[in-house]
Amino acid sequence: MKINKFALGAVALLFIAQASAHNRWILPSHFNLSNDKGEWVMVDVTASNETFNVDKPMGADRMKITGPNGESVRPGSSYRGHRKSVVDIHLEQSGTYQLKMGGDPSYWTSYQLKGDDKKHWLRGVSKSQRQAQLPQGAINENTMESYANVLTYITLNTPTNSFKTTNKGLELVPVTHPSDIAQGEQAQFKFIFNGQPQAGVEVEMVREGVRYRNDPNALKLISDDNGIISFTLAHAGRYLLMAEHQSAVKNNPEADEVGGQIFLTFEAVLD
Amino acid sequence: MNKLIMLLALLLSLLGFSAASGAATQFKLELNLPAQSGEYHNPYVAAWIEDDKGQSVRTLVLWRDGAKWLKDIRRWWRKVGRKDQSIVDAMTSATRPAGHYQLNFKALDDQKQSLSAGNYVLRIEIVRENGGRSMTKQPFILNGDSHQYPLAKSYEIAQSLFIIKE
Repeated sequence: MKINKFALGAVALLFIAQASAHNRWILPSHFNLSNDKGEWVMVDVTASNETFNVDKPMGADRMKITGPNGESVRPGSSYRGHRKSVVDIHLEQSGTYQLKMGGDPSYWTSYQLKGDDKKHWLRGVSKSQRQAQLPQGAINENTMESYANVLTYITLNTPTNSFKTTNKGLELVPVTHPSDIAQGEQAQFKFIFNGQPQAGVEVEMVREGVRYRNDPNALKLISDDNGIISFTLAHAGRYLLMAEHQSAVKNNPEADEVGGQIFLTFEAVLD
Repeated sequence: MNKLIMLLALLLSLLGFSAASGAATQFKLELNLPAQSGEYHNPYVAAWIEDDKGQSVRTLVLWRDGAKWLKDIRRWWRKVGRKDQSIVDAMTSATRPAGHYQLNFKALDDQKQSLSAGNYVLRIEIVRENGGRSMTKQPFILNGDSHQYPLAKSYEIAQSLFIIKE
């Protein structure tokens, strides 16, 4: 049984390594705005391992924009280039907007064949579907239900906080409001997994401009028993937060494991 | 009879106010905005007072353009302006060019109540379009004595002075 658990863990690690082949992020032109007449923002959406240099476009049409009143906001024009997708958004209401991609599960089933070390993958096949699709003699079958949330927050005038969690997979709950993160001030985020505070979430934060320095100076943190990370950033700037967590699940007809990734873009303002 | 009591109460409260509050306490800010070379836009300036917990108790100065630029006065906007539209509305004042300014204030909070004795921090945030930013942070004490605080110079603020006159 112990060996089995270890094997599952190893599978999860492998999977995550594959799934996170590229970081993804949403980068708005502004995180904080002031205007009583509404404002425009432009937002870059890209899959790129360089923070924050763009690399590949990402389907920005799948981005959900939620306004301060909880209703979804329709973007203006959008453009898909070869290095990034761009979306134009008009903010009319005062308050905080959430921009989010993902949130829907994707399923990955892996298996092996007797006498062969190679791991095979079935993309988009859940646990309940796999029996019909696995070849005869498949062993060590394992299905991962995976959630990825790529998100950012933009605040026009007074910040608000009315964002619902889905309670599926890994989610970030701002304790410190994302528009209130400042150089030299302590900030906190909370991680929940399937709706419950999750200890042991591995978090990494990278400040922009990695291309122009030798040491990325990534800040690495692990969530405490209450799912909380606390941090004080010495430098103002734009940051990409990456977090991931996976665990075995029981009583889920669709998966043996649930995994989640988060990519949050935020700015730490000058004190 | 009722009227008499009310009048007495009013008189007493007026007397009490002037005796206990040190309403005579004055702040004097000698603000010196340095001349700059090259393209020059008047700076946006906010000066305000925070208590010992970092909460703003009084905005003294707000020299600004349209609402779109308020966000550029970063700390003042984050800590004060965006949370209280009434302060923004009450303070509207146009930007001013480089020069020496003598500004006088009563030692009151935003609600026009006198500031109690204690430790405070004067903050002056100066931001210039196509220019730099400076964030002056001067702790001071209100204890019934007069004080004078020379303010640290930086790129956007020349020799300036904060005076408490009792």
